[in-house]
Amino acid sequence: MSFLTLVFKNLLRRPTRSLLTTTGIALGIAAVVALSSIAWGFQRSWEQAYTARGTDLVITKVTSRSPLPAPFSESLKADLLKLPHVQSVSGLLSDMISVEDAPTVLVFGWERNSFLWGHLKLVTGRWPSDDAEKSVVIGAVAAEMLKKSVGDTLHIEEDDFRVCGIFDSTALVENGTVIMALRQMQRVMESEGKVNFFNLRLAAGTTDAEVEGLRQTIKNRYPGFNAFTGGEVAQNNTGIQAAKAMSWATSLIALVVGAVGVMNTMLMSVFERTHEIGILLAIGWRRSRIVRMIIYESTVLSFLGGIGGIALGFAAVRLLEATPWIRGKIEGEVSLLLFALALGIALGLGILGGLYPAYRGSRLHPSEALRQE
Amino acid sequence: MGEQPTGGGAPEIFIEARDLTRQFDEGRIQALGGVSFTIRTGEFVAVIGPSGSGKTTLLQILGALDVPTSGEIRFRGQSLRAQRDLSRFRARTIGFIFQSFHLLPTLTALENVQVPMFEMAWPSSERRRRATELLEAVGLGARLNHRPAKLSGGERQRVAVARSLANEPQLLLADEPTGNLDSASAQRIMELLGDLYQRRGMSLIVVTHNPAVAACAGRTLQMLDGRIVADTVNPGGTP
Repeated sequence: MSFLTLVFKNLLRRPTRSLLTTTGIALGIAAVVALSSIAWGFQRSWEQAYTARGTDLVITKVTSRSPLPAPFSESLKADLLKLPHVQSVSGLLSDMISVEDAPTVLVFGWERNSFLWGHLKLVTGRWPSDDAEKSVVIGAVAAEMLKKSVGDTLHIEEDDFRVCGIFDSTALVENGTVIMALRQMQRVMESEGKVNFFNLRLAAGTTDAEVEGLRQTIKNRYPGFNAFTGGEVAQNNTGIQAAKAMSWATSLIALVVGAVGVMNTMLMSVFERTHEIGILLAIGWRRSRIVRMIIYESTVLSFLGGIGGIALGFAAVRLLEATPWIRGKIEGEVSLLLFALALGIALGLGILGGLYPAYRGSRLHPSEALRQE
Repeated sequence: MGEQPTGGGAPEIFIEARDLTRQFDEGRIQALGGVSFTIRTGEFVAVIGPSGSGKTTLLQILGALDVPTSGEIRFRGQSLRAQRDLSRFRARTIGFIFQSFHLLPTLTALENVQVPMFEMAWPSSERRRRATELLEAVGLGARLNHRPAKLSGGERQRVAVARSLANEPQLLLADEPTGNLDSASAQRIMELLGDLYQRRGMSLIVVTHNPAVAACAGRTLQMLDGRIVADTVNPGGTP
């Protein structure tokens, strides 16, 4: 018989209690996995959006914590084009706008004929053909959400726009957006001649050091502006940060509940087995062995709970992704890193939850423990 | 396994107890009131006396499960007070047998005997081999995979005897080992203990109410109110 066999047999003595504790941990870990998966997926989707556009650097005005940076003059463009390595510059203006029944939709104004459009695939209809045309293209998810198809009218702020096309983007987040020509967006937002992002595409073969040098140049030459890579923009996005903070806060609560559950179970089990621990000490076990037995028991519980929770968490994400009114809006990240992190957290919970009960068990006085029946 | 030398000369002093006292409840209860004796290697000693006379307390102090309030106990001249880790000493030196067997209910006989062996650096196969041997020695070779619930009282106590020998102790302590057994089973257990301790060169101390059990021992310590009131050699018993 191995020591682990004994540990398993001990846990099987109270199958219901062991199962309930494991279920508690599984639910906590499932919450961690599902929420992190969605938050990470959200961030990755934004990173993908920049990669797909072919944007190497994004230039914005440094602003306080508003979700989107404030508009600034697009006259900067000519200047930026003169900087070394810069191949093309494309301005865009964006805002979160309440459109018809939808609470908030990300609406873009993109420079026509810029590289930004390159990665979008037209599903039906056509692209806006003229700066003066009051038309928009909408992402596939936005089309579903707003219940619009090509030819319909979309009311944005004070104006009516014609939906001239529906597109599909490799980046999920763009599929929920509405895009129009930059000139139209400037008119809607009463920000004529202004943009709030410049997307820069650099010459092929620009090294990381050269990109870094360019960022410094931009920061020095244009005080109040900042240059980010696509990944950094995604990380600094307040929406993504909020999603991550929410996922961590909820996870933390779930984990504390899980750890307290393990500790409660193990304490009960130690108190129940006071007499038996006395016997184990009498027949030759050292105190360290008692500690090990209890920590192993709690770790086995949390390991099994962790495995179950990971499966449950990923299943929940898949289920959410397939739910009709959510479909296409989230894309959970399923990665080995998340798997390992969740399992690590579960094992940590088991060890943490077992420490105090193990300490109590090992402090039992053998002759007193034997006297208790 | 320390085989006892069979040559001449008196066996060495194994246990030396001096003025052992044990108080409980901040001195309101005096379980031992100054007990002194010596036990030689290979002796079989019965401790008798009425309930509450201090027998079990004495046994627990001898087994390093409890410490005396005052007085000293030495094993082969080494004071127990000098031992930093009593549980380590216990694991390597003492075997315990209880009145109510105290086997782990979910484990088979074979597994129960292996429980104390986790403290020895033996591989799993070696633990299994030793446990099988011990169970064969107590006549349970055909009952290896039975759980305690499937065994009779006498068989359970024989598993407990095998378990007490698991780590090759030098001292076997038994607290009313026949208290829960019918007289036939009780006699078999005593024969078994008498035989095993001698062949393995251990010392054996048995606490009992039962005069028939005490008669098996070579020496009897009679206790009353926490003191030894008589220390007699029993010519009919095992030395």
